[in-house]
Amino acid sequence: MSATGSVGGTARREPHAPEATLGRKADYLHADSTLRSWFLTTDHKRIAILYLTSITGFFVIGAVAAGVVRLALIVPNGAIMTNDTYNKAFTIHGVVMVWFFLIPSIPATFGNFLIPLMIGAKDLAFPKLNLTSWYVFMAGAFFTLVSLVLGGVDTGWTFYAPLSTAFSNTWVLPALIGVTIVGFSSILTGLNFVVTIHTMRAPGMTWFKLPIFVWAHYATSLIFLLATPVITTALILLIMERGFHIGVFDPAYGGDPVLFQHLFWFYSHPAVYIMVLPGMGVISEIVPAFAQKKLFGYRFVAYASIGLASVTFFVWGHHMFVNGQSDLASLVFSALSFAVAVPSAVKVYNWTATIHKGSLRLDTPMLYAMGYIGLFVLGGLTGLYLATLAINQHIHATYFVVAHFHYIMVGGTVLAFLGGLHFWWPKFTGRMYSEPWGRVSAVLIFLGFNVTFFPQFILGYLGMPRRYATYPVEFQLLNVLSSAGATILAAGYIFPMLYLVYSLWFGRKAPANPWNAKGLEWETASPPPKHNFHSPPEVPRIPYDYPIQAQEARDQHG
Amino acid sequence: MTPNHAALELWPPAISATASETDLLILAFTVLTLLLTVPVFVAITYFALRYREGSEADRHPSGIRSNLIEISWMLIPFLLTLIFFVWGARLFIASKNAPPDAMVIEAIGRQWMWKFQHPTGQAEINDLHLPIGQPIRLRIISQDVIHALYLPALRLQVAALPDRYTDLWFKADKIGTYHLHCSEYCGTDHSVMGGQVTFMNPGDYQEWLTHAGAQQSKVAAGRTLYEAYGCAGCHDPGATVKAPSLVGLYGSPVKLADGRTVTADETWLREKILNPNGDRLAEGYKQVMPSFAGRIPEDELGRLIDFLKSYTAPASGKAAQANP
Amino acid sequence: MSEGLAEGVGVSRAGHFETVGQQRAAATLGIWAWLITELLLFSALFLVALITRIQHPEATVAAAKHLKFWIGAVNTVVLICSSLTMSMAIEFSRIGWQRAMVRAMLATAALGSLFLVLKGYEYYADWDEHMMPFLSNRPFALAETPPARLFVNLYYVATILHALHLFTGIALLLGMTWMAAKAGFLSRHQNWIEVYGLYWHFIDLVWILAFPILYVVNR
Ligand code: HEA
Ligand code: HEA
Ligand code: HEC
Ligand code: CUA
Ligand SMILES: [Cu+2]
Repeated sequence: MSATGSVGGTARREPHAPEATLGRKADYLHADSTLRSWFLTTDHKRIAILYLTSITGFFVIGAVAAGVVRLALIVPNGAIMTNDTYNKAFTIHGVVMVWFFLIPSIPATFGNFLIPLMIGAKDLAFPKLNLTSWYVFMAGAFFTLVSLVLGGVDTGWTFYAPLSTAFSNTWVLPALIGVTIVGFSSILTGLNFVVTIHTMRAPGMTWFKLPIFVWAHYATSLIFLLATPVITTALILLIMERGFHIGVFDPAYGGDPVLFQHLFWFYSHPAVYIMVLPGMGVISEIVPAFAQKKLFGYRFVAYASIGLASVTFFVWGHHMFVNGQSDLASLVFSALSFAVAVPSAVKVYNWTATIHKGSLRLDTPMLYAMGYIGLFVLGGLTGLYLATLAINQHIHATYFVVAHFHYIMVGGTVLAFLGGLHFWWPKFTGRMYSEPWGRVSAVLIFLGFNVTFFPQFILGYLGMPRRYATYPVEFQLLNVLSSAGATILAAGYIFPMLYLVYSLWFGRKAPANPWNAKGLEWETASPPPKHNFHSPPEVPRIPYDYPIQAQEARDQHG
Repeated sequence: MTPNHAALELWPPAISATASETDLLILAFTVLTLLLTVPVFVAITYFALRYREGSEADRHPSGIRSNLIEISWMLIPFLLTLIFFVWGARLFIASKNAPPDAMVIEAIGRQWMWKFQHPTGQAEINDLHLPIGQPIRLRIISQDVIHALYLPALRLQVAALPDRYTDLWFKADKIGTYHLHCSEYCGTDHSVMGGQVTFMNPGDYQEWLTHAGAQQSKVAAGRTLYEAYGCAGCHDPGATVKAPSLVGLYGSPVKLADGRTVTADETWLREKILNPNGDRLAEGYKQVMPSFAGRIPEDELGRLIDFLKSYTAPASGKAAQANP
Repeated sequence: MSEGLAEGVGVSRAGHFETVGQQRAAATLGIWAWLITELLLFSALFLVALITRIQHPEATVAAAKHLKFWIGAVNTVVLICSSLTMSMAIEFSRIGWQRAMVRAMLATAALGSLFLVLKGYEYYADWDEHMMPFLSNRPFALAETPPARLFVNLYYVATILHALHLFTGIALLLGMTWMAAKAGFLSRHQNWIEVYGLYWHFIDLVWILAFPILYVVNR
């Protein structure tokens, strides 16, 4: 067909091309089963599955490293392993968990799978680019694994100069190259999402009908686009410094060692919202579905995502309060960090209000969502402790920080990831998982998590520095408690891996909409056909069109 | 004189006014946190039970205008937390600006040890002795990577940067011995880069400066140097490198590879450390030991040799435990 | 930008788009988003160079004196001309003059290569003057002023990164020219030319930023 018209973007849309969708019974999983059809696929759903399997692999690597860390800390004197081994263990744990698990986790899997479905599109705007970004991701992963296999890195995930450039004699270069490459994969994914959300929405799908999940990914993608290039530059400079000693971070040549920290945190603070915003998107889908009620304050939650994405660029200095930064800068960064709490507060309170007067089912995804809210609030508020200048002077670089970010990243995002995985599992695979096992693991993870990380708040306040292979003996009891918690946590992670895989073959067949949820993704079959919809989906009158509506919905949408 | 070794401690000692105020600040903040979060937790739990599917609950919209609630739950907590921003900022600024009459101690960080120099010239490694009741300013710099000096009992820390001074000031009011840590990750032995800070009555401090303290800690300092420069890594029992034990070496005869025998006196030790190879190789060993010429400053070399002179028992202490 | 296309010029729709207009909008937005990230990549680098310049004015000026101002200036002109020929190629593609378009594209690639040749000569001259501080076996001419080393090194990082973009750009351009010379290209992929044109202008823009920042302000 020679559609060579020069129609503008707003022109009338042609109906779905029939040859592409109708008359094809097979779903996307069974449409074609050769290995080649998976590794060369441009179907966003299959690419999501590729990502899902690879990041699960990375999670396992990161978790084993965490296990090594917790094992070492059972004794205070470092008798279990050398300082070097310990340092390499937490470095690889941080690098793998942040760059190869958490940053891609929700966007690259659920985002990839669901955004086109949620907006009623057949695919992302650039399907080949999407596949490319997976390969780029794997290339970055390859370099990082090379550095791991050759003997590891000991700089910490933050790669601070001049330790990483001139003093560490471990495999820093391959790790840096790996992380630089993986940044491009983020950029490409973010670009694809932004363009898709702008241009591929089904007729009638206006911005304020988009699910919050899509809003959250839109905000995340903006951060991908605007922050990642800066870390790329920073890492390129770091590579050049280490490889050719160019002098940017070396005071002997007029360079500035702290400059790297500025460039690093200019990216890595926004990156923490890359890690948490998609999780908030997931929770904003799960809570209304299991309360059967419209999300409270939809517009506020949508704006809050964009608000977070913008303020987040101006708080990076809160990681450097004690690094000789000027007092004025510290004051500004501290104040702005308090401002960042506001959009987060909006979300938390709106989820709570959504549950109010709902009709609640406490299935696995909802248990995870409730756990998320509790742990995120604790993690977030302890972030404010850290942002308070006088307190930071004491607890900076102690276990208090470690507890803070695990509460948000594990208690928050990982729980959101698991919640989302259970919520959309029927959609991804066409099978139901085992509900009792699901609930047991959700509770186990929640308990194990708190036993692992709550003692770390106390340890931090008592003054135990982080990244310590050995520590004063009076901290042993709390550390043993933390390690014990980690074993419970480990069990909690292993169960889902088992019963989810089991369900692939033996699970009950899933209906199209097992949760009675709203959203276009539930209108197509489980699993969806290759081209997503058999017939063009009907866009509802309002988003979250659940039976129970708050007053506000009636006001705003008539 | 080691920090107390209670099995479980729930609040760290606070030994200055700033430290106590920081504690107050965090306690007050915790109260606010509880006020902000407990309602959320209670509400979620309560709603989850009350509005279970199938329960007899009133589900009619409550008719509350959402914009008003939204604004209030944004603004009220924000304004409340701002109090803590201001409080924290004031305390921080105060703790950054040292009074002009403060006694200045130089602190130098290096992989993996701290070196402190008192105004009267005495120097210590990793440990620090200070008087109470007097403002003290630590002027800090690093010789290599970024470190940070952390004194939990004072609730203070600041980075040691390679190219500029940072400082830290305080006025302690309780005597005792407390931890001193490096809190910025700096490589392999980051976790053993530290020791103890001992606060003494001013009289005792003067005493310490002039008497045994300085002498005694000289040997201790030498031990630290022995570990910091990696001597222990090769020479201590259990090391993977085949190197002779240095226990009791001082003053005893040494057989060299070229057949001569020398006495291990101060001069010979000094030369051996600076230029170990060539005609100074010990009999039966390989040429492995690196040259330390240009790497160990003269004053430290002196301490190292003092330590070797007193070194009669095999290594003990934290570094030995850390590297089994 | 799709207005005024001649008869028989246009884009064939890929399966997952509903309309050609949508496809074009996506491509345009996509390339702009990419260019913004690229711009940020270079901006961070230029920012570091400017900070260096502010902190060590004498050393930077001394180092910048060794840069070949005239080669830089000529290269600026060369790139501006290449942007011109690229714009012509886009215009020709819109009115359907395929052969003229192919020629304009070849001219663009030639100008781009000329830039690289001149740049290569400049690097050679730098090498000759001992202005490559990162080479361990070749003493640096300004060794007494250490910050000069930093500035010169930043100059290399920035210009090599730019040259890499240009090199990729030329390779892509030649590949596309080869395809564009075939019959029917313009009725299927006219927007490739437009999208690619934006990338080429961007490379040009980066140089136009780099030239004053590295060569001019330090004189
Ligand atoms: C997903 C990751 C994530 C997220 C979302 C956050 C969110 C926040 N973080 Fe955190 N942070 C990290 C990951 C994250 N952080 C990591 C990894 C580190 C360590 C890096 C390293 O050094 O290795 C770190 C370190 C870190 C520091 C530096 C600590 C130090 O090294 O000295 C600081 C200091 O200000 C900080 C602050 C905050 C703040 C204020 C928020 C806020 O966004 C939190 C906002 C949320 C809430 C406030 C809770 C919900 C709100 C309510 C219940 C309403 C009531 C409250 C109010 C309106 C006040 N973080
Ligand atoms: C997505 C992010 C993410 C996730 C999911 C986790 C998950 C976990 N992390 Fe994570 N952590 C980070 C991100 C993350 N972490 C980052 C960024 C750092 C900073 C790194 C740095 O300082 O550079 C850090 C640092 C860090 C430290 C501090 C190290 C130090 O400063 O010295 C600790 C200590 O307890 C820890 C523990 C854990 C535990 C117990 C889990 C658990 O949730 C994991 C559960 C898994 C298990 C409990 C292990 C299961 C495996 C086994 C049981 C096998 C055991 C194998 C052997 C003994 C060979 N982490
Ligand atoms: C890389 C390993 C290594 C390090 C580090 C090292 N040594 Fe040695 N050292 C050796 C070996 C091997 C020998 C025996 C061969 C020789 O004499 O050179 C030795 C010999 C010696 C001797 C002579 C002992 C004898 O019985 O002949 C002295 C004294 C000594 N070292 C002191 C030191 C001091 C002090 C340091 C630290 C400042 C140090 N060494 C660091 C490996 C090391
Ligand atoms: Cu020095 Cu850590
Ligand atoms: Cu941050």
